[in-house]
Amino acid sequence: MSWDQVFELIVSILTTQTGLPNLLLKQLVMMGIAFLFLYLAVAKKYEPLLLVPIGFGIFLVNFPLVPLMGFTEQGAPELIRAFYKYGVQWEIIPCVIFLGLGAMTDFSPLIANPKTLIVGAGAQLGVFITYLGVLFFGFTLKEAASVGIIGGADGPTTIYLTTKLAPHLLGANALAAYSYMAMVPLIQPPIMRLMTTPEQRRIRMRQLRPVSNREKILFPLVAAILIILLVPAVAPLMGMFMFGNFMRESGVVKRLSDTAQNALMNIVTIFLGLSVGATMAADKFLSLKPLLIFAFGLMDFVVCTFGGILTVHIMNLFVKEKINPLIGSAGVSAVPMAARVSHAEGLKADPDNWLIMHAMGPNLAGVIGSAAAAGMFIAMFQ
Amino acid sequence: MKDHWYVARLLVVAVFLGWAVTSHAAGLFSFGDTEKPNPEFQRSGQEISAKFIPRAKSTSVTVTFGVSAGGILNDVKGVDFETVDRPEVDVKNFKSAVFEIHITKVKPGETAALSIRSDFFTKSTAFFVYNPKQEKPWKDAQAGNRPLDGRVRELVVSARDGGELDADGLTDGRVTVIGGPRDSFWGYALGTLFIRFFGIFIVLLALMIGMIVSGFVFRAIERRKTRQSEDQKDSVKALAAEQRAIAPLDGDAARSAEVPEEVAAAIGTALHLHLSSMRRSDRSSEAATSESSWASDGRKRMMNDRLSVFNRFNR
Repeated sequence: MSWDQVFELIVSILTTQTGLPNLLLKQLVMMGIAFLFLYLAVAKKYEPLLLVPIGFGIFLVNFPLVPLMGFTEQGAPELIRAFYKYGVQWEIIPCVIFLGLGAMTDFSPLIANPKTLIVGAGAQLGVFITYLGVLFFGFTLKEAASVGIIGGADGPTTIYLTTKLAPHLLGANALAAYSYMAMVPLIQPPIMRLMTTPEQRRIRMRQLRPVSNREKILFPLVAAILIILLVPAVAPLMGMFMFGNFMRESGVVKRLSDTAQNALMNIVTIFLGLSVGATMAADKFLSLKPLLIFAFGLMDFVVCTFGGILTVHIMNLFVKEKINPLIGSAGVSAVPMAARVSHAEGLKADPDNWLIMHAMGPNLAGVIGSAAAAGMFIAMFQ
Repeated sequence: MKDHWYVARLLVVAVFLGWAVTSHAAGLFSFGDTEKPNPEFQRSGQEISAKFIPRAKSTSVTVTFGVSAGGILNDVKGVDFETVDRPEVDVKNFKSAVFEIHITKVKPGETAALSIRSDFFTKSTAFFVYNPKQEKPWKDAQAGNRPLDGRVRELVVSARDGGELDADGLTDGRVTVIGGPRDSFWGYALGTLFIRFFGIFIVLLALMIGMIVSGFVFRAIERRKTRQSEDQKDSVKALAAEQRAIAPLDGDAARSAEVPEEVAAAIGTALHLHLSSMRRSDRSSEAATSESSWASDGRKRMMNDRLSVFNRFNR
């Protein structure tokens, strides 16, 4: 073998089998973005359970020549592609997460004060305003619906709807949803203060009535019947959510309920985060659309917060016992972050005013409302 | 007050800027036709069906073409919208697709009635025709729109051989119609926006009413139960008070009245016998036979309790 041949072989190996010569600037940019999200998750503790796997997914998939998100010559999916295909594309993981969420959720505050469901509906205003807004910017109807749902502040719902309607926007939508959910304590308070007077912020609400076990057990059944009959398209999400809650409240399958809340939820969260992160390859992500999605996502959250508080103001015109408008902002379904923000703002106005349980009502209503909004959008395109 | 004025001015500026940006945004951003329909055609007798996933839909629809009078349907093809795009039309309004329809055996100069049927059409669906030979290439064909059985609607386009809807422009016994069903994109987007937003209110209102009603029922049941248990407590209290009123005996006298001396002696003997038999039963050779009935009953209960632990449905 001559030196020329050795040199040619080395060049061939370097160019076709190592990543370094194939590394592009845009891939480095994406790695920078991955580091940013990893930093936010680790140092600032912003939604670390999701931003860590998402950030790492972005980091991994942007190396050149990596066999992670493609298909083998035999057509089999590569590692993260397999997670994505069977977990996300087949719409399994978001529904399993809803099962876990149901098993974690105590609906007592909502059962004790069903009026707060209206607040959850009002807080979906941003979803529809954003849907309209992005249409002006050249998005298709399906893309607009998937971007709009970001304001519902529900990660699994956003992922579920985006996978169904605009899978090419999955990375940007999921990242925007989780990032803004983490920033609820920064985004909401200025809007809450802008839309309420100090007097309104001091409104005290009557303590919630105790809810019997029987009511708690029957709630998931009644809710499933009503919601699925009216919006059948939402059955995969709502069915799993209510099933998880029924397991919890029935009290006879504690082992299953524990698994759904902990082990199962943790497992699917890992696969979901990695899969979503891995959809953000540089050639797909670095374009105008994700930037617009981030801008509209922020607007979406703002309008949803506005919508929730506005709904409480309107309700206060008709009800005898006034509702503290601060709990309106909890209508976005970032559970329980949004309720905590309402509580904290209430304490600032009156240190003896405990709003947390009152705010949990609209917060839980927001979960149901955003799932209903997703169902409406899915039905619209069927 | 000053703050409120500042916020109000800020809002006015924001609304103006929002309007200015959004009213021009559609022209500023274009991401191409990402939802291009790809029709597949199938002939069945004198009719041709096109099956495709239209824009803004996730499921496929079928459009059936036929000629109801004046000729025979020869062929239907799909047309790429980019080839017929003009500034005066917006691709978003053509949710279905654009087709090239060939009708033959038309009497020269006569009119052929093209029938297009689908359950995807609505009352407001029109049929727009493209003719590059005209000064304004796109034109509303003024198609008749009528309901058929089920949810199917029929558009009827009357195209004269060599007329302005005939793309070949020749009076040759053949009519070529290039065009497609047109719906208002913004009308649909805004209409569905309102319907679905209020739809969420309806869904959650229904749930709210259901919860209020069920809450009312449950509270009534709870109240009744509480009342019943209070009644029972009251009656027990009343009975005790009554007994106290009938036999007001004190300490030792009451006890001696309840248990006579002979009975007390019998109880003591029985207890002694029972305990001594228990001690004997510790010896393994006699364990099975020397158990008293109390002991065997206790053992049975204990074993049953242990068994239930292994019954997975009870956990």
